[in-house]
Amino acid sequence: MSRYLDLSIKKINEKLKNKEITPLDLVNECFDRIEENKEYNAFITLNKEEAIRFAKSLEDKEVDNLLFGIPIAIKDNIVTKDLKTTCASKMLSNFIPIYDATVIKKIKEKNMIIVGKLNMDEFAMGSSNQTSFYGPVLNSKDKTRVAGGSSGGSATCVGMNMAPLALGSDTGGSIRQPSAFNGIVGLKPTYGRVSRYGLIAFGSSLDQIGPITRNVYENALLLNVLCGKDEKDLTSVDTSEDFTRLIGEDISDMKVAVPKFYMSDVINPEIRNKIEEVISFIEKNNVKVDYVDIDYIEYSVPLYQIIALAEASSNLARFDGVRYGYVTDKKVESIDDMYKYTRKEGFGDEVKRRLMIGSYVLSGKNAKTYYYKALKIRKSISDSFDEILSKYDLIIGPTTTDFAYKIGEGETDAIKSFTDDLLTIPVNMAGLPGMSIPVGYGNNKLPIGMQIIGNKFDEAKMYKFASYIEKNFEGGKLC
Amino acid sequence: MLKPTIGIEVHCELKTNSKAFSPSSNTYGEVPNKKANVIDLGYPGVLPTLNKGLLDLGIKCALALNCKVTKEIFFDRKNYFYPDNPKNFQITQNNTPIGTCGYVEIEYDGKKKKIEIEEIHMEEDTCKSIHENDYTLLNFNRAGIPLIEIVTKPCIENEKEAVLYLENLREILLYAGVSDVKIEEGSMRCEPNISLSDSDKLGTKIEVKNISSISAVKESILYEIERQTKLINDGVKLKEETRRWDDKSKTTILMRVKETGNDYRYFPEPDIPKVIIDDKWIEDIRKTIPLLPNELRKKYKELGINDVTISSLIQNKELSVVLNELIDMNINPVLSANILTGDILSYLNKKYITFKESNITIDNIKDIVNLLDNNEISSKIAKVIIAELLEKEGDVSTIIKDKGLKQISNTDELVKVIENILDNNLKSVEDYKNGLDRSIKFLMGQIMKETKGQANPKVANELLISELENKTKL
Repeated sequence: MSRYLDLSIKKINEKLKNKEITPLDLVNECFDRIEENKEYNAFITLNKEEAIRFAKSLEDKEVDNLLFGIPIAIKDNIVTKDLKTTCASKMLSNFIPIYDATVIKKIKEKNMIIVGKLNMDEFAMGSSNQTSFYGPVLNSKDKTRVAGGSSGGSATCVGMNMAPLALGSDTGGSIRQPSAFNGIVGLKPTYGRVSRYGLIAFGSSLDQIGPITRNVYENALLLNVLCGKDEKDLTSVDTSEDFTRLIGEDISDMKVAVPKFYMSDVINPEIRNKIEEVISFIEKNNVKVDYVDIDYIEYSVPLYQIIALAEASSNLARFDGVRYGYVTDKKVESIDDMYKYTRKEGFGDEVKRRLMIGSYVLSGKNAKTYYYKALKIRKSISDSFDEILSKYDLIIGPTTTDFAYKIGEGETDAIKSFTDDLLTIPVNMAGLPGMSIPVGYGNNKLPIGMQIIGNKFDEAKMYKFASYIEKNFEGGKLC
Repeated sequence: MLKPTIGIEVHCELKTNSKAFSPSSNTYGEVPNKKANVIDLGYPGVLPTLNKGLLDLGIKCALALNCKVTKEIFFDRKNYFYPDNPKNFQITQNNTPIGTCGYVEIEYDGKKKKIEIEEIHMEEDTCKSIHENDYTLLNFNRAGIPLIEIVTKPCIENEKEAVLYLENLREILLYAGVSDVKIEEGSMRCEPNISLSDSDKLGTKIEVKNISSISAVKESILYEIERQTKLINDGVKLKEETRRWDDKSKTTILMRVKETGNDYRYFPEPDIPKVIIDDKWIEDIRKTIPLLPNELRKKYKELGINDVTISSLIQNKELSVVLNELIDMNINPVLSANILTGDILSYLNKKYITFKESNITIDNIKDIVNLLDNNEISSKIAKVIIAELLEKEGDVSTIIKDKGLKQISNTDELVKVIENILDNNLKSVEDYKNGLDRSIKFLMGQIMKETKGQANPKVANELLISELENKTKL
């Protein structure tokens, strides 16, 4: 088997241009790797036939961009025309979309090759990929452990280099946390940076699609493709720039804030130490680092439970068996019974639990007590971040409180999936961009992720900083 | 004594080109499910768009109904499960209705009254469900069509006020160009709620749905007042409920009892950002609102048009628009109004066509009125020309020329005709001598007959009298 996919995208691109290899070689290699690592359960649906057909059709075409002919895998909550999109749920186990998400259109325009749909937590609800109707995804660095979630399939896919690029989605940490657990680079862009049209909504005001890649540069390359205003998504923003443009520049004189909340006793000391190592490293490189307080961020998890779940209870109401997806086999007497059985049988426990909480916080007087109050505190969190980011270029801290845990662990703890996201949720609340990059391993040989948080639409600066760490920090090199 | 209190909710389809939150076209009566896209179907992953036309018409409607326009608006989700509701939530406005505190003025028994409007808000329509035997068909063409909901305060005292309110509201919305307001086609839906009380405290509210005409609103209100009065007098404690008007039996039928008030779990629609409506936007829209019926009535009255013609004009918006154009061209308004509401209107009604669809043009009418105004043709000839033009496209001067219809005001020519007639009608001349005025009428008829109606009546009359005087002097 050839190992072209171990090369950087730039190198692969040169070989494609020189006609040393063809897109079909890459696709074949990609499917070999997926087959080899089947037990990791990263994929729900493979797009083999179509990918091969498309790769062949590219052979006569000019290699006109860096991502031309590169295989990419897509989280299964992003709709792909004629390619089953399940959200890892029984509810959509038979669902074949009739349209492409905006990001899929953009990927196709660049002649990238979609190789398949990736496993995830059901409807992106979970942080260990254990709520999937299709079973858990194994961690690419230790298969007894969870891949993280909800973009677990995406992270393991890239972590094992089954495909060099993947799309994930992040509502409270679903790109960054599994990226940290798998030692790769994942970015949740600024809210509005990437069109959500075609992303099966979970928490609409928090969801963002983002790139998951092997390194910082390739992450920026993929974001170049994904971003931009989409008239189909009113919350998308008109921004277009080259996110690789600052990569390689010096970081001295940057000012970085470290929230005390991110370095508390709740964080595994080994992770904390690693972040402190990074801090001393950048200080040595003339970066000014301050420990700061960010007001109200300690409320982020309960806010998430209210806002994300309230929105989800409404977003997922459309799965009722009337127009598409699963419908109960039971002989029912009324439309209400059809709804009841379809949803009872079609959704898994975690989804049902969250829909019930979401309905509760919006119900009658609760809306005022919970939902509208949460919106107010959310605004305060956002203001606190803005204040810090008006004085500092970036905020850094760990991505996760702990290492990837054993599969099966925490399954009975309904709260764990939220506390896992303690450090990532605040970023979604504020609509800011957040990235996780690998900065080394613990003694248990499991990767540690560092989170970089930027100002709105300041991803280029984050890439510059991340790339510097990736290149020059000892821990970063290990990956 | 039990006193009724009535409030009315009206839903109107807005005349936008596309749907409220998707680019599908807003058209009625196409092949079922041809005017629906993935957004209207509530497909997984779709997001709403926002039609600017919806906002423009919402503002226009608010202004036409004397409402205060809300400067910062957003939309809300109303969550409930029903097969005609594709997303199982409806995008509506709960927190920031586009207009508040408006009114519609009505007048009856010589009194004026303002029917207060609590609020108006924009929302999307549901699918149309067609229930057959043991299944239901869904037509998604209607899903997402923009609606405006107009809610009055509970300030209507009887069925008369209700009818006048609805008639005036309908006219205003039609004239403002907001909606087609076709009740039969469902583009305007009226839902009155009626409660009875013998004190200042409002009684139990009963809502009536499924009403397909303004007269049925009246019937349903009268029916409910009678039904509720009887129940209250019998000592029955009423519950809040929604009833359906049944046009066949002329009764209301229970649909559902409101147990604890509906829990729609409203919250702001996160997929549609807030919209700021600035003063310029409002003023730009205000400029597009034409004169509304009450203002038009006043204007027509001042121009000397009679009441019957005025109400005929208001009822036929298209003709009123034509008249306004003629008035703007400085054409005699009374003559124009009479022509429009006379032969032209009856022809249009007979043929079930609009003015635009007919052959006659505004320019034609302008020419005819000007000729009449200058006494160049008689009203009789005008009728002939109009009849001709309604049947076949044409030009007034050509018709006059071809048919030889030009009025004869030439004295010499007329004197010849008159002398000739007097010579042949010596008996009538004799009658005139003996003071019988009706002979003039007869002789004028003869003149008109002879000139095929072309004689200028005023000139002919004067000449006839002077000829008769001459003759009797002899």
